[in-house]
Amino acid sequence: MRYEIIKKDLFTRTSAILLALMAGGAFAFFARFALGLGEATNLSNNYPWGLWIVFDLVWIALAGGAFVTAGIVYIFMNEDFHPLARPAVWMGFLSYSFVMITLLADLGLPWHFWQLGVQRPEHSAMYEVSWCIALYVTVLALEFAPTVFERFGWDRLRELWRRWSPSYTVLALGLFVFLMSHKIWMAGLALIVFGLVAFLTRDAVKQAGVPIILIIAAVTFSTMHQSSLGSLFLLMPDKLSPLWWSPLIPLLFFLSAVASGIALVMLMDLMISFFFERVYKWNRLAGMGKVLLGALLVYYLLRIGDVVIRGKLSLAFSGKGGALFLIEIIGGGIIPIILLSRAKLRSNHYAIIASVVLALGGVIFNRLNVVLLGMNLPGTMPGGSVGIYYPSMVEWALVISLVAALFFFFSIGAKLLPILPKDEEAH
Amino acid sequence: MSFAVLIDTTKCIGCRACQVACKQWNNLPAERTAIEGRATGFQNPIALSAKTLTMVTYNEVEDPSAPAGLRWIFAKRQCMHCLEPACASACPVTALHKSKEGPVVYDPKKCMGCRYCVWACPFGVPTADWESLAPKIHKCTMCFERVTQSTGAMELNGKRMSPEEQKIFAESMNKPACVKACTTGALKFGERESLIAEAWERIKSSPGKYVPHLYGEKEAGGTSVLYLSSVPFDKLGFRTNLGERSYPYYSKIALEAVSPLAMGLGGVLAAIYLLKRRKAQVASSESGEKE
Repeated sequence: MRYEIIKKDLFTRTSAILLALMAGGAFAFFARFALGLGEATNLSNNYPWGLWIVFDLVWIALAGGAFVTAGIVYIFMNEDFHPLARPAVWMGFLSYSFVMITLLADLGLPWHFWQLGVQRPEHSAMYEVSWCIALYVTVLALEFAPTVFERFGWDRLRELWRRWSPSYTVLALGLFVFLMSHKIWMAGLALIVFGLVAFLTRDAVKQAGVPIILIIAAVTFSTMHQSSLGSLFLLMPDKLSPLWWSPLIPLLFFLSAVASGIALVMLMDLMISFFFERVYKWNRLAGMGKVLLGALLVYYLLRIGDVVIRGKLSLAFSGKGGALFLIEIIGGGIIPIILLSRAKLRSNHYAIIASVVLALGGVIFNRLNVVLLGMNLPGTMPGGSVGIYYPSMVEWALVISLVAALFFFFSIGAKLLPILPKDEEAH
Repeated sequence: MSFAVLIDTTKCIGCRACQVACKQWNNLPAERTAIEGRATGFQNPIALSAKTLTMVTYNEVEDPSAPAGLRWIFAKRQCMHCLEPACASACPVTALHKSKEGPVVYDPKKCMGCRYCVWACPFGVPTADWESLAPKIHKCTMCFERVTQSTGAMELNGKRMSPEEQKIFAESMNKPACVKACTTGALKFGERESLIAEAWERIKSSPGKYVPHLYGEKEAGGTSVLYLSSVPFDKLGFRTNLGERSYPYYSKIALEAVSPLAMGLGGVLAAIYLLKRRKAQVASSESGEKE
């Protein structure tokens, strides 16, 4: 794979707009700490989580594009996705970093975050997600590092990376297993298993350019935190409508993250072509569309099957919850599946764009439903009407600025580092 | 041995001495409120908050034998102190935990303020202090420091207490502030198993006085606060759709699976990679032979 640095002005009129939005977000972040959560947001005891948590859940699901692409390219060896491996990792690294900024704002006492390092809760999904994401960000950084070494010709660092990143990865996985199980023997077993995996795949770095254990760690950490984000809601069977609550919600969150991750990488491909004025790769998109079709089929079959088997399908045809469910399933699942099901349709530009947008919209809507719209909140004891929650200006400003920051830094990265594949057809 | 509180709503007269005692013992500030009237009568405030850890609800229920056919029933509400609390299982830093003595307690030094406990609690109990720049969680702790304080070897009027006096003193001190303040005996503090036995004894010995339901014995896997009532509990605003399974049941299974699944997944991915690579090598060597 050959890469190129985009030869365009570093700062454009668009980046001025993005910088203005980011300044607004910086101000909102400051306001959040100056005024306190209660003043700056519309959160309350009835709605202790709001836009920021929806945003985090959505963004992490979409940023799943990073691990899905890495897995598809390096483990399943699908060439359609290969040109997008670097941009996907860069997008993932930025996304996860920005999600941590929202979390910092959302925590009431963020300066106590180090407690995560010293306390040992037994079955907390929040603890799992925190550790898993922290370790995954280091793996993303290691996945991305060679791009930087290549650009600046840092061969000694590259050599260090080649030699030591597999050992670091095995240790990180061992630490993770220890923190989750609290058992030394489990951690020892994990070190043996992952050490063996690293040993058996040690010469992969020569062929694939990246130690496979790094990719395996990316997929493993992602699978675990994407599903644990669903586990967060296992504690709320009384509140979340049965159209969304299920004992399988961890698996559903994982599968939907895979589908939305693929869709996001396709959207990213379209946007790269649009913003950097490159040739659209419709053949590649059609190939990726086939993979997206598979992911959507698996996810929505389980999603619908789960509701049917639990005997809750009748709820889909009554009330507000039913309408939300049908919009999510038909709009986000059935229509894109139909659009992607024929090879002829997959090569139709409008059909592929529509199916990508709908598939993403379906998963975004799912997260919104799970956190807010599908919740039947009883209110603070003794309970009563909880009113309606609308995000405040500060909440919106921070979210918008972080999306702007993603576009801004993605573009800066593409203009400074060899992230994008060489646009062969253009020359 | 774990502590519990039995609340007999038929004995409650709605005086709210418990509410006042709770504010005093926990040193909580006043809350600016208004009487909402209508359905909630003199209930005040309307819900728990960071400043109000317990409150008495006013419930007007139909009763043909009462004058005008209506009657007030009062219920003191606070943390239920679940046997397997959803809040403690949610907490990523063990700031909330179920003590072996029974109360579910909170350590603000550990808390990150993620508010997952507020979402997770099936009873809507934990509240955040939204007016603060460092919003901690607030909830009833069953006066953990009171009920576990040592009351041995004290002096009374300059003389050492006799064992008999010491026992009386301990019994009067080692109980939550609300229970101590209760004027009618509607609240009783004690050991959970014996309170359950006593509650069922009360139900059996006064036929017709109570509904045959001890709220908290089984709800959400059982709680350390138990309620007796003369009317079905939904009429008093209690949640009756919680089931008998403890809330952490499913997340416990999901999170225990994380470590084995992570290792299994690592192995499977490595196997897939090695197979794919082998296939690619065979394919390329075959095409090489043909050339």
